[in-house]
Amino acid sequence: MDDADAVGALTLDQTVVLRRGDREYRVRVGDDGTATIDGGPALSVRIAGSGEIRVGRGQERTAWVASAGETRWVFLDGNVFEFEVAREGPRRTAGAARGSLSAPMPASVVRVEVAPGDRVRKGDSLVILEAMKMELPVRAPADGIVAAVHCRPGDLVKPGVPLIDLE
Amino acid sequence: MTFRRVLVANRGEIAVRIIRACRESGIESVAIFSDADADAPHVRLADVSVRIGPASPAESYLSIPAVIEAARSTGADAVHPGYGFLSENPAFARACEAAGCTFIGPPGDVIERMGSKIAARALMVSAGVPVVPGLTPRDQSDAGIAGAVAEVGYPAVVKASAGGGGKGMRVLRDENAGRDMIPAARREALTAFGDGTLYVERLIETPRHVEIQVFCDNHGHAVHLFERECSIQRRHQKVIEESPSPGLTPALRDAMGRAAVAAARVAGYRNAGTIEFLLEGTGEAAAFYFLEMNTRLQVEHPVTEAVTGVDLVRAQLTVAAGGALPWSQEALTQRGHAIEVRVYAEDPATGFLPQAGPLLVYREPQGPGIRVDSGVREGGTISVDYDPLLAKLTVAAETRGAAIERAIAALRTFPVLGIRTNIPFLVRVLSHPDFREARLHTGFIEQHLTRLLAGGDVPDDALAAAAIARPSPTAGAGVPAPPTDPWTTLTRWGR
Repeated sequence: MDDADAVGALTLDQTVVLRRGDREYRVRVGDDGTATIDGGPALSVRIAGSGEIRVGRGQERTAWVASAGETRWVFLDGNVFEFEVAREGPRRTAGAARGSLSAPMPASVVRVEVAPGDRVRKGDSLVILEAMKMELPVRAPADGIVAAVHCRPGDLVKPGVPLIDLE
Repeated sequence: MTFRRVLVANRGEIAVRIIRACRESGIESVAIFSDADADAPHVRLADVSVRIGPASPAESYLSIPAVIEAARSTGADAVHPGYGFLSENPAFARACEAAGCTFIGPPGDVIERMGSKIAARALMVSAGVPVVPGLTPRDQSDAGIAGAVAEVGYPAVVKASAGGGGKGMRVLRDENAGRDMIPAARREALTAFGDGTLYVERLIETPRHVEIQVFCDNHGHAVHLFERECSIQRRHQKVIEESPSPGLTPALRDAMGRAAVAAARVAGYRNAGTIEFLLEGTGEAAAFYFLEMNTRLQVEHPVTEAVTGVDLVRAQLTVAAGGALPWSQEALTQRGHAIEVRVYAEDPATGFLPQAGPLLVYREPQGPGIRVDSGVREGGTISVDYDPLLAKLTVAAETRGAAIERAIAALRTFPVLGIRTNIPFLVRVLSHPDFREARLHTGFIEQHLTRLLAGGDVPDDALAAAAIARPSPTAGAGVPAPPTDPWTTLTRWGR
């Protein structure tokens, strides 16, 4: 089957490191249709259809999966799990540069409520964004001083791009 | 008389719903679309479609000239506004009529009157329908609103006078809360409805939201189609709706139904509408207050269709064309139990933040008693420009308990991947003992949020599956495999 071949070519007999929050899991996928997690007991895992996987230890169930960039998505029994595929080597720091705040989603800037040099307290609203007809305040995660402002009202901003630097 | 061609002035699942009703009634349908929706399901389903502008709603679905021009150029003899967008805009209703198209809904002046919370309240008081204490300050400045809040008393609610759906709405618990919330409410009201007038009302603590579906024709008939319990809300927007309401005694149901019909009659209402009530207290001691009237088809109308067995959208077409209501009050009954859950592209863990992005996997559940209304498809993209509603799952069963089980089972086979959705959250709400025991109120989600957000351990099955996931499995069974990237698919085959 083409699907199986495609998957085989990509992943068989390899170890994938998956990250979720602070946890890291080493999943070894064998060429015999088994997988082991952190050296634990083996599971069987096979492609059942497009985006559909049958998986289990003795008893199988269906999981749906998708992959985009480094992110792996799994839908299992009404729950969704998101993992980051970790490359071997130095650990990537999450998100943008330390101390900068970015939009959580594509949005437009309604108002900037602070200027460089302003002292802000945890929870203060710094920038008001609008997306999907709702106003979303970007709040200070901690007390600090505004080091730089990278956005203006009317700007369309993307996730991950710094809006405000705090120090 | 019937319409020949109906323009559907909306997008997403509601446009799909209306187009289907047109087709079943032998009426041609016209879809409109913005650049973001060129390949959307509602466009593909309609008999003909017209581009009306760029992705921005103000230049497309909210543009009266653009929509009217589409109706004119396609020779539509009626316009169905759906919900949201221009559906409660009296100028749009009038513009349709002026262009020779029947507006499928109430007359513009009725929309105007009921759209103004002030006028609507006054009208309800005159009809003897109970209302929540509140006022609209003549002085609409921040200070004027703050003064009105102080007069009504804390906690108070500040709302957009022109709108609904929780947009432009803020709860003020004390004096300090008002400072940035009043201008924020006004801005939201302006953005969403083009009118920043604010209205202040006493907050009823732990109320339930129960609404009555009404329907009126041009021949003097007015009926109600029972209630929908809509107490499960987040950010003042409904998430789960059901009928019957587990909180109503037969006497209260009857009293609310009669009050709703009286309200619709005094408003001079036509077509399908909803009277929203707040319910305070339980059982025999419960009191209900008029909240507002929605002068349009409701998002949650499938719940009513499921328990009454009627087709509300088809009846809208009949009544707008001058026909009589297809049902008498006596003929209408509630049977079994129905629950609707709204599947949103949002992240419950970050304050229900709307999400945008590609739908890498999107597979709807099937089975007896399961209905899915959706306007998205696998491989499509959820845009930042519109409401994040992906689909409505409505289940019907013999009892409330069976309906809950059916909804949970359906959600457990409703994989949506590529963007975050509230599906796992919905499963936890439906599974919560307080939901099962019908201890419902509009603060339910807030009250139980910690437990509702709690994610369990990661099962080994999920890890093993994640490890062999390959990029973008978008092809369905029997469909030729598209290029691996859905973005490529859109570019290559889109217009």
